[in-house]
Amino acid sequence: MSATPVLAAEGIGKRFGGFTALDDVNVAFERGRLTAIIGPNGAGKSTFFSLLSGAVAPTEGHIHFEGVDVAGEPQHRFARMGIARSYQITNLFPQLSVHENVRLACQAMHAPARRSLWRDRTRYTGLADEADAALAQVGLASRRKRLAASLAHGEQRALEIAVALASRPKLLLLDEPTAGMSPEETKEMMALIGRLAAERTVLLVEHKMKMVMGLADRIVVLHQGKLLASGTPDEIRADAAVRRVYLGEGRSGRG
Amino acid sequence: MIRDIAPVQIAPTRIDWPMLAQRWRVPLLAVGLAALPWIVPSQALAVNILIFGLYATGFNLLFGFTGMLSFGHAAFFGAGAYGTGIALARFGIGWFGAIGTGIAVASALALLIGALSIRSRGIYFSMVTLALAQLIYYIALQATGWTGGENGLRGLTVLTLHIGPLTLNFLDPTVKYYVILAFVVAALWAVSRLLNAPFGAAIEAIRENEGRAAACGYDVKRIKLVAFVLSGSICGLAGALNALHLSIVPIDSLSYQTSGLAVIMVLLGGAGTFFGPFIGAAIFLLIEDVFSLWTVHWQLFAGMVFILAVLFLPHGVWGTLVSWRKGREP
Amino acid sequence: MSFDLIMAQLFAGVALGAVFVLLSTGLSVIFGMLGVVNFAHGAFFMVGAYAGVFILALTGNFWIALAAVPLLVGAMGLAVERFLVRPLYGRGSDYPLLLTFGLGYVLVEVVRILFGSDGMPFETPELLTGGIDIEGLGYFQTYRLFVIGMTGLLMLCLWLLLERTRYGLIIRAASRDPEIVAVLGVDVRRVFLLVFGLGTGLAALAGLLAAPMRTVNPEMGVTVLIEAFVVTVIGGMGSLLGGAIAGMLVGIVVSLTALFMPEMSTISMFALMALVLLVRPYGLFGRGVLAR
Repeated sequence: MSATPVLAAEGIGKRFGGFTALDDVNVAFERGRLTAIIGPNGAGKSTFFSLLSGAVAPTEGHIHFEGVDVAGEPQHRFARMGIARSYQITNLFPQLSVHENVRLACQAMHAPARRSLWRDRTRYTGLADEADAALAQVGLASRRKRLAASLAHGEQRALEIAVALASRPKLLLLDEPTAGMSPEETKEMMALIGRLAAERTVLLVEHKMKMVMGLADRIVVLHQGKLLASGTPDEIRADAAVRRVYLGEGRSGRG
Repeated sequence: MIRDIAPVQIAPTRIDWPMLAQRWRVPLLAVGLAALPWIVPSQALAVNILIFGLYATGFNLLFGFTGMLSFGHAAFFGAGAYGTGIALARFGIGWFGAIGTGIAVASALALLIGALSIRSRGIYFSMVTLALAQLIYYIALQATGWTGGENGLRGLTVLTLHIGPLTLNFLDPTVKYYVILAFVVAALWAVSRLLNAPFGAAIEAIRENEGRAAACGYDVKRIKLVAFVLSGSICGLAGALNALHLSIVPIDSLSYQTSGLAVIMVLLGGAGTFFGPFIGAAIFLLIEDVFSLWTVHWQLFAGMVFILAVLFLPHGVWGTLVSWRKGREP
Repeated sequence: MSFDLIMAQLFAGVALGAVFVLLSTGLSVIFGMLGVVNFAHGAFFMVGAYAGVFILALTGNFWIALAAVPLLVGAMGLAVERFLVRPLYGRGSDYPLLLTFGLGYVLVEVVRILFGSDGMPFETPELLTGGIDIEGLGYFQTYRLFVIGMTGLLMLCLWLLLERTRYGLIIRAASRDPEIVAVLGVDVRRVFLLVFGLGTGLAALAGLLAAPMRTVNPEMGVTVLIEAFVVTVIGGMGSLLGGAIAGMLVGIVVSLTALFMPEMSTISMFALMALVLLVRPYGLFGRGVLAR
């Protein structure tokens, strides 16, 4: 592995009271790759994601982003350093327009605009254009004036991604972007993720293992709050521990 | 919640009234308020609508636009009033400097109360702001040497205003009205600028979804604190103007009822709208004006109107009009 | 400062605290279950005191009032939940709060119309006048002992109701996850209704019990509402134990500052609250999630 890691988790763990959601996980994510995080329900995927995006602070360990230890920093710092995320359950600004949802994310990354109390927001035309570009990328350009709450489920999922994209992240975290989508929509979404991953580092939590195998460069498997395995899709397919957890002993599936 | 601040695209074939109203909202409201003394039954009522409309506007910045329901804004209204009154009566500062003092005192207090209360959220925030405002009330009640205690602060009558070469008779109700109006319009212009600025977008984002706003890169706590202080200073200006208007500062300026007044007015008019607070103030004060002629128990009617509004008109009068109008659009 | 005086103040503080405990329990039960902050809580307290005045004048019997007031005002609470609060579920926690705030106004005015704006005395029932002199400890007023005893008894009953009965099981489960309970075939709406009635009944009982210890007037509810909030903020919203401990704490702190620094007595509870907030923004026993 010659690439330098963008993000490295070193022995991170999270305890809620007596319950250990995540324990001593060490993984490094290399620049420019698409890594999928998989694992059965309750494996700690969501907790892991929350830690990496800064929504929750770890109780143990360090998170290095481009060499800087960011564990324990407030969430907005993560975003400003270049880590953006989408959510498993749609999490938008429902009563604002589709365009405003994305423009807000652009504005947050633009320091002079973010700090401005006085200048009219429409004067920052660059931000509006950026927002339109992000909308075009996910195919929502025609919906820009609608309220986010009025979009169909699949469109809201796409808007989720557009909002994350709008901050031009170095690292894009996608939490089950195809959750609740029809097969048709899922196919479109996977194609979109493929395109996005060509230009940046992407981390993807996904339930549908088959799909992930064809898309990801690397795969990280969590199980019961611990790191079970990590490697290329082929390595994961061949991994005995993964087969035991995912496929059940004795059954020889093909992934 | 309804807003009338998002810029709307111009349709080429017809006049876009909402957009025009949005762009010209400060002049429109200024003209409306300038005409108010001829519209409402009495000049005294008009001044009250002016002052309490501004007070409600300051509160609306926090409740309607940032989504934080404070039940302690009397603290800032009162701080503005006492700051102005004490500057006038105890230190002999001129009326203009006294208003500035009032705003400064209110802002400083807002910074203090805000820093403590924004650590909690939701209904907790409402309870904490209410309790802290009550603390300020009791302190003012005890500090009789400064505030006059239960009897209120007296001896701050301003007779004439000197503005450059101009000398205005502040005892003339018409002069008084338009001097106060000038301050109110200046404040409204500032509020309008704030709402149009990226800051206005950021507080709406926090109202809509605090967690997502943080994930986008907004420092939510800091923005909330700034909104809290700005809201407090506008309410402080309203209090300062009220002190000049009444020539005394009653202890009630700091009371729970005064905090509640802002809530009632904003909800009646329409939270998160620009015109709503003044419409709500006008409705409430008109109810008081009309019903108090019949009965001392006019608050019974005010309370019932408020309950009906919560049940059937949750967006307030103006907010409902705006959303009705939006609903008719293609 | 003599030991006797401190003991007497401490005792007065515990009696005051007992009323705070009842108040915050009523508030907490409603919040924990319905997620509603009842801004009319102080008004129900005041209505309870006036209902006591009225029934006492009618029957001349304190014990009848003691039984009737919580039932009567609790029934009022049922009607309020059914017709005013229920339509607002699902509209966000601000709306029920605002509605009960408006209701507080209405209740105060109705009482002013019925009983006048002036304060009313409330005689301590004859059986409970006087006091007990314990050698070496001090003199304890019977009525205050009675209030403390009643509060202890009520808290015990409430604890048994919540922890040892089927209803309690449903209430606790429903406050954690109303949907699951609904799926299990329990009428959650009826649980909400009864809990709101219970909360208002407790407020009214607190009002009646407190009446002989302070003057009864239409404005008493506002002070009481804020006191209840302070106690609840200190204890932690939705925590019965927190409310009980904070109630006692506030009662004692207020009484002792009244003795040592009388000019600070009204301010002391707020100072205590500010102190707690600095360390624990959601109160001593509160969890942040509840406030979202």
